Amino acid sequence: MDFGFGLSPSSAVTLDRVDLSLYRKLEELNPDIRTCIACGSCSATCMAAEYSGMSVRKLILNIQRGADVSKMLSCCMLCGKCTMVCPRGINTRKVILDCCRYFK
Amino acid sequence: MKESVVIIGGGIAGMETAASLLELGYSPILVEQSDHLGGHVASWYRLFPDMTPASEVVASLKSRLDGVTVFLETGIQFINRLRDGYNVMLSNGVSIVAKAVVMATGFKLFEAAKKEEYGYGIYDRVITNRDLEKWFSGIPDERIPSAPWNIGFVHCVGSRDVKAGNTQCSKVCCMTAIKQAIEMKEKFPDAEVYCFYMDLRLFGKKYEDFYISAQKDYGIHFLRGRVSEVSETIDGRLLVKAEDTLSGRPVKINMDLLVLMSGMLCNPAAASIASMVKAGADDSGFLRSRDNVTGVVESERKGLFFAGACTGAKTVPETIAEARSAALSVHNYLRRPR
Amino acid sequence: MRERIASGFDPFVLPFLVGMAFVLLYCFFGALRVLWQLPREDRRRFLLSLFIPATAWKNVKDIFLNCLLHVKLWKRNPVLGYMHSSIAFGWFMLIVLGHLEVYLFVPSRLHLFYYPIFFNYFVAGADMSLQGAFLFFLMDLFLLVVLSGITLAIIKRIRSDIFGMRRTTRASLVDTVGMYALWSIFPLRLLAEGFTAGISGGSFLIKPLNWLLEVVFGTEFLQNGANMLPTWWAYSIALFVFMVVLPFSRYMHIPAEMMLIPMRNAGLRIRHPRRGFALMEVYSCPGCGVCIDACPMSVKKGNLKDCTVYLNRQIRRGNEKRIEEISDKCLLCGKCTEVCQVGVEGPALRIAQRSRKEYGLSPDYAAVDVGRLSAAVADSPEVLYFAGCMTQLTPSISRSVCSVLDKAGVKYRWMDRTEGLCCGRPMLQAGRFAQAKEMVRRNTAIIKSSGAKVLLLSCPICYKMFKEHYKLEGIEVVHHSVYFDRLRTTGKITLTKGDLCYAYHDPCELGRGCKVYDEPRNLVGTAAYIVEAGVSREASICCGGSLGSISLSFEAREAMTRNALDNLCKGHPDAIATACPLCLSTFSRYSEIPVRDIAEVVDASCQG
Repeated sequence: MDFGFGLSPSSAVTLDRVDLSLYRKLEELNPDIRTCIACGSCSATCMAAEYSGMSVRKLILNIQRGADVSKMLSCCMLCGKCTMVCPRGINTRKVILDCCRYFK
Repeated sequence: MKESVVIIGGGIAGMETAASLLELGYSPILVEQSDHLGGHVASWYRLFPDMTPASEVVASLKSRLDGVTVFLETGIQFINRLRDGYNVMLSNGVSIVAKAVVMATGFKLFEAAKKEEYGYGIYDRVITNRDLEKWFSGIPDERIPSAPWNIGFVHCVGSRDVKAGNTQCSKVCCMTAIKQAIEMKEKFPDAEVYCFYMDLRLFGKKYEDFYISAQKDYGIHFLRGRVSEVSETIDGRLLVKAEDTLSGRPVKINMDLLVLMSGMLCNPAAASIASMVKAGADDSGFLRSRDNVTGVVESERKGLFFAGACTGAKTVPETIAEARSAALSVHNYLRRPR
Repeated sequence: MRERIASGFDPFVLPFLVGMAFVLLYCFFGALRVLWQLPREDRRRFLLSLFIPATAWKNVKDIFLNCLLHVKLWKRNPVLGYMHSSIAFGWFMLIVLGHLEVYLFVPSRLHLFYYPIFFNYFVAGADMSLQGAFLFFLMDLFLLVVLSGITLAIIKRIRSDIFGMRRTTRASLVDTVGMYALWSIFPLRLLAEGFTAGISGGSFLIKPLNWLLEVVFGTEFLQNGANMLPTWWAYSIALFVFMVVLPFSRYMHIPAEMMLIPMRNAGLRIRHPRRGFALMEVYSCPGCGVCIDACPMSVKKGNLKDCTVYLNRQIRRGNEKRIEEISDKCLLCGKCTEVCQVGVEGPALRIAQRSRKEYGLSPDYAAVDVGRLSAAVADSPEVLYFAGCMTQLTPSISRSVCSVLDKAGVKYRWMDRTEGLCCGRPMLQAGRFAQAKEMVRRNTAIIKSSGAKVLLLSCPICYKMFKEHYKLEGIEVVHHSVYFDRLRTTGKITLTKGDLCYAYHDPCELGRGCKVYDEPRNLVGTAAYIVEAGVSREASICCGGSLGSISLSFEAREAMTRNALDNLCKGHPDAIATACPLCLSTFSRYSEIPVRDIAEVVDASCQG
């Protein structure tokens, strides 16, 4: 029961409580997202990173950690640079489109 | 009469195999395509982790080759499998029948220009690990500025990269980058040196000490993020873009020199020679060993052996050890009654 | 000349009449439905266009040339052209001549629908006059023409490779039924008329057949009118079957194309993925399958069913899963449209399907600081250079473009040197029109604030987008290949011929997309030697790197790139030249020989 005495929300992620439904859906449609090595190439090359902090690396990670991704996606222009530089060959544009599509 | 063994490739693997076989009482024939022995190591300056001059390694190997037949500037025309051995036809017209052949064809350095976004061959201030070693050995290179402020090392260029056609780790680049970073810091104490890495793979003896020293004694900056692209600023410096994945923020930094750590690919000549005797290659392009645990130096074909980087990226000490192992395997094979 | 049946009726005409009534009613209501589905302004435009003499004339001409004579197909493949036009035009002439016969000999029967079709059964001895004999000769001639077409069609079904088609469409059940019905109509007609030729007369084809039948069955058998009836029944039933399955088979393209052509001539385009014009295009697909061989994805067997012909089939069936798969996979290279006889716009149709998707999250670009971006281009000189996203990963292009501009003494500003926005084309191709529009709006504001007169682009993807979807009054949008060729012809730059021999690759968006074929070739031809690829220009093969595809994986594209490279290397060039950053990086990945952008080729041989 919440008596409203809570301090600032904990910065720790309780993985047990994270809703992974969106991630599961993305993983089903794009199994290659499991191969991300978090190199950050996609974030560095992103045309929208300047405006909204867009990063496919963080997108994949944040969805698994239950963090909000709507802000970073708000400026994605689907230009495809992230797809071009990904060393794992992940089809990032499809990941982004699927993420927007099944986002609730 | 002493048994002949043909060794294809006169790099350190081929030299060590030849020297060991000579010591075991065989008559090795060393075939090298270029005009000198020593392969890639001959064009290197110093080797980690003890900063051993590469020339010393090559010279000591060379000194043990007295009695080995060496063919320089010679290629392989074709190899036939015989019932018990191989018939090797060299490009100089010499034909050799040998019971055993050792492939020591080594690796090819990834062509850095293929990663166009890094600007090798386009910008004046982008060089590769090999270019830097040559410069260390005293060959002038006008791309290297006299007083750089910022020097960057880009790890994994052409390694672990499906877009570059090589998904394998080249193993030695992390250590080479740290070694070269230290050497640059010694030459330019005022410069800031950055290493852009995805993962630091420092697995060998004393390697971790080297890393600690680079951090503690030389103040080299390690930034966990792969460089996505390089552009040129109006004043001719380089603008490097990467994500500092640890802080989660994209970083841009001006560089005066960028060193690309080109990775190792299998020597393309190796695949064509191997196909003549129906020896296979892995998906990575490197030659396929009989077994990756107990039979690395043996092929799937009788009498055909491998030494060194033709089966995968290797360090110098690993190559030397493997070459000896290959020599011993050849020895056991030839001794075995058939 | 006499009428054999006083009432002018026999029950065997019933199947034909029923089939005819069905197909006419179906098409009439179908046309009404499509008209109703059109947006109001499109409908107005279409109906008005029918009364503009020039357009009306063009409609008649186009329908005659394309639907009946298949002129486009003749140019591409004369044997296929003959096959199609012999059936279509031959059949058309049989109908026209049948009406002429009725008009000349029994004008009182002109109101009977079936009379021209079954003229030989109802009227005897019409060939007695010179006029009649000539008409009968023509009838036999065109029947022979149609039969030759049918023969070719049967051969094609068995061995399509003889006709230069490596692959052909797998027929569905309804298509097969329709096909057999169509094939049987004319042999049955021949047989029926052969039976009656002794009484009704005939010319060089059916008269000899009649003699042959006389030998087989005997004169007495042929004299009995009842014995000829079964063949006329069979002929009528074949017509019935064909017309009843027509609306549900690929043969629907016959009436559909006759409506599509006027709609296209009226300037209509796809506005809705499934209604109106899109529906017309889908039904106009004849299912011939030339798009299968044309499709760059066809190098892999697994992609064969993702070509436009199958998209049309799945849209007609309403198979949503397959529609989405096919639509998302396509590279949007436009080659299927280029080879299509009907002009079904494969890419546009797919983009429209993509636009049906609903999204839980939509970018709005509210955070983009247009002010800052505009400030960066303020007071720019005449030329504003927009390199585009892809060019940022191919610095050789932007560097060469700047170098050539410097050598020519052109004052310019590089708009997206440090930061910039995407042109919006990838978003448009993904079917997210509102988002693409937002990007267009922001880029327009930035470009207009610059004061530049020329917008120079080194990426064909951007070029097509700026050319077609931006309203930049007073600013010329130009691709660097065209601009450099202009610099060359006006003497601003001089090119020295080098020794290298290039094969020029036409990027999809520049060639088929914007019809720029000659300028890049002029440049390469002046700066070096040029050798044409196996196929080029309109037939150029996509490099496989296209952003048009949403779902193709990196691995799946390799075979396409290698196939395109094989085609480019047919003439054994020293190097490959192209004019698109995406083609450049895609080809460089697998090419054995160097790949250069046109800007690099020009820069290397250029003096100011």
